[in-house]
Amino acid sequence: MVAMTLDNENSESIFSVQDVSFKIGSIQILSHITIEINKHKITGIIGPSGSGKSTFLRLLNNLISPTTGKIFFNGQDIAEIPPTLLRKQIGLVQQRPYLFEGTVKENLLYGPKIWGIDYSEDDLLHLLDKVALPHEFLERDIEGLSGGEQQRVSLARSLANEPQVLLLDEPTSSLDVISEEIIESTLKRLSEERQVKVIIVTHSLEQTERLTEQLLFLKGGQLVETAPTEEFFTQYRNDEIRSFFKKKEEN
Amino acid sequence: MASELVAMIYQTLVEIWQALKEPNIWIRIGLSAILLLMLIGLSLWQRTNLESKLVWSFLRGFLQVVLFGSFLTVIFGIQKIWMQFLILLFMSAFAAFTNYQSYHYPKVLLIGLLAITASTMFIMSIVIFSGAIFAAIPNLPFKIEGIIPYPPQGEFVIPMGSMVISSAMRMSGIALERAKSDIIKSRGKIEAALALGDSPKNAVKTILKDSYKASLLPTINRVATLGIVSLPGLMSGMIIGGVPPIEAAVYQVVIFLMLLSAAFIASITTNMLFTKQFFTKREQINLVFLNELAQLEQKKAEERKNRQEKRRSWWRRKKQTEENQK
Repeated sequence: MVAMTLDNENSESIFSVQDVSFKIGSIQILSHITIEINKHKITGIIGPSGSGKSTFLRLLNNLISPTTGKIFFNGQDIAEIPPTLLRKQIGLVQQRPYLFEGTVKENLLYGPKIWGIDYSEDDLLHLLDKVALPHEFLERDIEGLSGGEQQRVSLARSLANEPQVLLLDEPTSSLDVISEEIIESTLKRLSEERQVKVIIVTHSLEQTERLTEQLLFLKGGQLVETAPTEEFFTQYRNDEIRSFFKKKEEN
Repeated sequence: MASELVAMIYQTLVEIWQALKEPNIWIRIGLSAILLLMLIGLSLWQRTNLESKLVWSFLRGFLQVVLFGSFLTVIFGIQKIWMQFLILLFMSAFAAFTNYQSYHYPKVLLIGLLAITASTMFIMSIVIFSGAIFAAIPNLPFKIEGIIPYPPQGEFVIPMGSMVISSAMRMSGIALERAKSDIIKSRGKIEAALALGDSPKNAVKTILKDSYKASLLPTINRVATLGIVSLPGLMSGMIIGGVPPIEAAVYQVVIFLMLLSAAFIASITTNMLFTKQFFTKREQINLVFLNELAQLEQKKAEERKNRQEKRRSWWRRKKQTEENQK
């Protein structure tokens, strides 16, 4: 394999998205998105359903390729990075957990086995702690887990790869308030201690307020606004964002 | 040579004609048609839309077996190995084409051809040449004749090959269908594996584990019940024909091993070649290909609808004319 440094400290942003559009057949999902996603920040992506948020996340770890435009990861064109290597660095937690058949342990070890990372029993228990699952879950079969528990296993499974960036697609939408809190504090701690950059798609405005430092607002496949989270909540610079926020508040 | 062949074909056709003049044979055909009618009834009841296919397959199969069955004596007499292989190759191609007619997926003809030919040639080579090798070694401490007597006789190679080919054909078809539906169904899981940095090959392996099980288990179960539930035609025929039961049994077990290996090799080859198309060079799910499959499916559904519509309008017209007559 080609030796490759994915961490280029000279570049300012972790992702540089340049005029990216994405089409399936004749359906335009994303059009002309240009944005720099800065390092050392938790970035939130919000917007109404069908605005292309999930598609945007999947572009970032190259599960799909842009129809036109380029994406740079640490200053390097992702189209030139071997996809498996790229995806090890950029974990993705999907909206639904999609666990593999078997035990929780087998699921957690899926990534490390590919990459030859050694995991002791203690490391695995530590992973469970991070996602607020009791230790006895390690040997449990995934069949018996609730939706929320499965979602947490899915998050732990991505963490087991020790990624640089974590992409999350509405990770707490099926969780209760307490689990949500634990996951959020885990994400915060991760981003502070291990400097994992988190990009999170969310429906919850409270969550963006609690977690994120930068926000992107997508609508109809277009990037309407990007700003520090605080400004979003104090200034409402755009009519469309204002109406979106209002609707959310009414709910 | 050519005149001999023409004479032979003429002779066979005359024999067929004479056999068909016997009323006895028509009674038997009529009786077997009862079963076919029952099949059609079941098919109509469950709305499988397989009726025309059933009738067509049986008609075609019947004609083929009548025509070619009479030439079998000629084919069975072939002693040259390369000619035997040529015939097997022709049979494989025909099998691949039949598969292609049922599964109109992209590149299926080529995939089926490769899968069926590769598995058949591989298995038959092992069987023929191991028999040949055993027979060619003089002064073996024990007497062994191999599975096929040496030099290889057409009467052994061709029927064995035909069983291997039809097993490979069936499994290749099942593998295609299962791979398609399993990959579409488990798309999220595959993407989860890809997102962890797994290769498409590996990700698909996790998904297709069950598909192998589903396609091979029926044959494995047949082996497990051999002699109690399943009394294969070949073995029974050999015993009726006077071959000692032990020899017939050994022969049958070997045949099952051949069929299973051919089935497995055909499934693996089919899966490897077919699933490749589901992914892009960048190790992503190939959305263009999925789109193509969906369109194919849609086209099929439309054709089915059209056929039903035609049938309905035919009924309507018939009723109309009946009423008019009244």
